[in-house]
Order: sequence, then C-alpha cells, then structure tokens
Amino acid sequence: MTTTTAIETLGVRVRHGVERVGDATHYVGDVTRAVRDLRTWLPEAALQARRLGVDSMPIGMFIALFTGVVLALLASYSFTNAVPLYFVGTLVQKTITLELAPVLTGLALAGRVGANIAAELGTMRVTEQIDALETLGYDPFAFLCVPRVLAGAVMFPVVVAAAMLTGVTAGWGASVALLDVSSSEFVKGVRLFFDTFDIRYGLVKAASFGVAVTLIGCRMGLRARGGAHGVGAAATSAVVYGAVAILVLDAIWAVVWLLGHAR
Amino acid sequence: MRRRPDFIVGMVVLATIVALLGSIIWVRQTDVSRRRQHVTARFQDVGNARVGNAAVIRGVRAGRIDRIELDDDGSVMVRMSLEKGAVLPADPVVVLNESSLFGEWQATITERAALPRDEAIQEQIEIVDREDDLLPGATLPDIAKLTAVAGQIAGDVAAVAGRVDVAFDDAAAKELRASIQNFSALSATLAGAVRDHTGDLDTLSAGLRDAVRTLNRAARSTELIVGRVDSSIASGELRQIMKDLSDAAADLKRTTATVSGMATRLSGSQGHLDRFLVSGDSVLTKINGGQGTLGRLVTDSSLYVGSDSLVAQLRSLIVEMRANPKKFLSIRLF
Repeated sequence: MTTTTAIETLGVRVRHGVERVGDATHYVGDVTRAVRDLRTWLPEAALQARRLGVDSMPIGMFIALFTGVVLALLASYSFTNAVPLYFVGTLVQKTITLELAPVLTGLALAGRVGANIAAELGTMRVTEQIDALETLGYDPFAFLCVPRVLAGAVMFPVVVAAAMLTGVTAGWGASVALLDVSSSEFVKGVRLFFDTFDIRYGLVKAASFGVAVTLIGCRMGLRARGGAHGVGAAATSAVVYGAVAILVLDAIWAVVWLLGHAR
Repeated sequence: MRRRPDFIVGMVVLATIVALLGSIIWVRQTDVSRRRQHVTARFQDVGNARVGNAAVIRGVRAGRIDRIELDDDGSVMVRMSLEKGAVLPADPVVVLNESSLFGEWQATITERAALPRDEAIQEQIEIVDREDDLLPGATLPDIAKLTAVAGQIAGDVAAVAGRVDVAFDDAAAKELRASIQNFSALSATLAGAVRDHTGDLDTLSAGLRDAVRTLNRAARSTELIVGRVDSSIASGELRQIMKDLSDAAADLKRTTATVSGMATRLSGSQGHLDRFLVSGDSVLTKINGGQGTLGRLVTDSSLYVGSDSLVAQLRSLIVEMRANPKKFLSIRLF
C-alpha cells in the first residue's frame, strides 16, 4: 500500500511538472501568436514602454552609480602594489558592461516590473476584468501580455545601456576623486581591452532578461486566484521566478556566447 | 494623451542610443572625420597583439591598431591609424612587443637601424620586407615564451642532474673508493723510495753545495768587475775614452778622405807624367836622331867648334877693347 502510494505521488508530481512545462510552452505560444494582433497591442506598447522602461531608468542608474563607485574602490584595494592602477578602468568597464549592469538592473526590474505586472494582471484576473475583456472579444494575451513583453524586450536594454554609462562614469569619477588614479590613466584602462562585443553581450542579455521578467510577471498575474492573497502570491512568485530566470539566463549566455567568443 | 508616452519613450531611447554610440566611438577612438593617417605593416605572426593596442613612435603613443587580418599569402596585415601630423622615422619598421607584464601589447614604429640586434628579428623583417608600401614588421617573444624557454632550460639542467645522479651510483662510489685506496698505496711506495734514496740525496746535496759555493765566488768576481766597470762609467773615464775614440775615428775618416783625394790627384799626375815621359822620350829620340835644332847641336860638332872659335874671338875683342876703348867708344857732348 505504501509503495503504491509513493509511486502514485511520484506519478502525480511528474504529471504536474510536465503540465507546467506544457502550460508554460502553451503560454509562450499564445503570446507569440498574439504578436500578430498588431491593432490590439500597438496602442498599449508606448504606454508600457514608458511605465516599464522610462520610469525604471532612475532605479537602474541609481544602482549602477553606486556599483561603479564601489567597484572602482574594490579594484583599487585589490590591485594595490601588485597591478597598475589604470587596470581599475579596465575592470570597471568590463565588469559593468558584461555583468553588473545587466544583472543588477535585471534583478531590480524583476522586483519592480515583474511584481508590478503580476499584481496588476492578478488584480484584473481576480476582479474578472480579464474575463470581461475576453467577453468583449479582446485577446488578453495581445492586449495585456504582448505590449508588456515587447516593452520589456526593448526597454530593458535601454535601461541597462543607461546603467552602463552611469556605472563606468561613476567608477571614473570615484577613481579620480578618491583614488590615486588620474583621468587619463582610467581612460587608458578603459580603452585597453575595450571591445564592442562587451556592449552587444550586455544588451542582448538585458533584452532576454526583459522578455523573461515580463513573461513571468504576466504568467503569474494571469494565473492569480482567490483575491488579494492570490494577487500577493502572484507578485511574490513573479519576483522570485524572475530573479531565478535572470540568473539562469545569465549562466546560459555566459556558457553559450561568452565562452564561445573567448575561444 | 497617447502622444505623450510615445514621445517620452522615443526621446529616452534616442538619447540612450546616441549616448551609447558616442561613448563607444570615443572609447574606440574611431576616426569619424577621417582625419587620421593609416599605415599598414606586414608580419609573419602578431603574437597577442589585438585591435586597440597602442601604436608608439619614439616612446610616444601616436595612434592605435585598428585592424588585424590575414593576407592571402599567409602573412598578417596590421593596419594602424596614426594621429594627423605624426611623422614616421626614416626607413621605418614595426615591432610588436609587450608593453607591460600584464598582457598589454603595442606596435612600436622605429628605424630599421634601431632594431634589436637579434637574428630572429632580422630574419622576420627580411622575410616580410617586399618592394611595396607596407612596412615590414617583426614580433618580439612575449613573457610566456621567455618563461617557456627558461622552463625548458631548467628542465635540461634537471635532466643533466638526473643523469649525473644516475651515473654516480653505488658502483661509481666503489670505484672512487678503490681509486683513493690505490692513490694511498702509491703515496706509501713513494715515501719508501724517498727513504731509500736519502743517502744519495745527501751526496748530491754536498756536491750541489760545492757547486753553489763556486758559483758564489764567480758571482763575487763578476760583481767586482761589474763594480769597476760601473765605477768607470760613473767617473766619466769610459765616456772620455769613447769620446776620444770617436774623435780619432772622425780624424781618421777625414785623413782617409784626404788620402783618397791625394790618390785621385796622384793618379791624374801619373797620367800627366806618363804623357810627359812619352813626349820626352820622343824628343830625346829626335835629338838622338839629330833632328831639329837641338839634335843638330847634340850630334853636329861644327857648331861647337864654331862656338869655341867665337868665344876665342870674343875674348880677344874684349882684351882689345880694354886696351884701346877709344877705338870702339866715342863720346861727344855737342
């Protein structure tokens, strides 16, 4: 009896896992198909781009500002008496553009944007506004998900680009003001190993983070059930899954693209 | 109302793109206005040089490497963009080398005459030096290669040490010990031989002492003679003797010259005497032959007789004049 129950439990879990993957795939397919419904999502796109992107720029730049300063100081601390200090510029530029600006900004936006989307759509779900949309003939994926996902895909790189500029500039300023590094030395370090691949890699990664965070936020919001508690749970799940997705995608990009480029 | 988010989003996206592109152009020092000059060099190998590395002339950064690509013939073409007004040195070549121990490389544009005196570098330059506009280039080994060579040398030394270790095994140690024992026995034999020949050595020593004494006496005599000679030299006698000898030699030389002159003149006088004797002989022959006035005087006695008669007549005339001068002398005043 016990063995049979254990086997049944395992079967249920596997079935649920497959169902989740199937649901997620089905969801992504629905959103992708909804992109063709241009008339539905296009009017919403600019608004979502402003809400998800433009309004998020201050937090992205704020994080990058302090990241750049701290990174310059850490580099200086690590390089003392061992490595020329102009490598502070190299380290700040490489680290900000390749990793910190996309990932830290992505994590911050996963909290801000992902939770925002999940709470908004979850509230619409529990108050049956989405059902009303469907009744009125609107495709909820085209009207709610596509503009947010596209806004995330387009605006995340914009926010990350601003964060890159802010972070490197902050590191430059901190190096000149707080460290024994001249401006020309910092610029020399930045130029020493600069490659446009660094920018491309960071921006593409940011776009993938934007797609993942908004897709997860929409998914969690659309699945919200049971009132305010369900909405809160959806928002929490969106943030958690969004952050995890960012870190997993970061590792995947590093293995697939960065490692290949380095070779 | 719909226009407002569109405008804001568009402005933000545009401003971000412009700022990002501007930063990239500034960091990469891209020649947007095409005011920089470009120089291309050919290499066999570029080591770890890469786009963005500095191009240096006489130690001053004058530009950057902006393109590295393989050529059809297998060489590597490196294009450098130099600042406007940067003057290349005469007969320029390009050397790629590490500029620090942290992986930085640079392209140093220098004169061919200033290249390091290294056969490998000269060979690289000669291989890629062709009659075209491209500068020939060479690559210095990086620190990793030098370290590898040093490691190889260390490995070789370790191998030699290992071989020595293998060669100097227990058998070698035993042989060495046997050699030392043989050497000890040889020393003992030599000591015995020395003891046996000690008497001979004493005799030899006594003879040697006599010889040394004799030599000492000879040395003292020699020293005495040398002292005298030295004294003579010191007192100036020898110098005076030498001076006199020199003067005598000079006088002898002058006398020899005089005698030589006299001999020469005597030789001339002998010639004249010979000719005089020949002429005299001829005259005497003619006189003896009765030729000429003198010959007739010598050979014809009539002249002597007439002369004798004339003398007798002159004597009688003189006697008559003494006896009767008025006969021969008449003096009138008016």
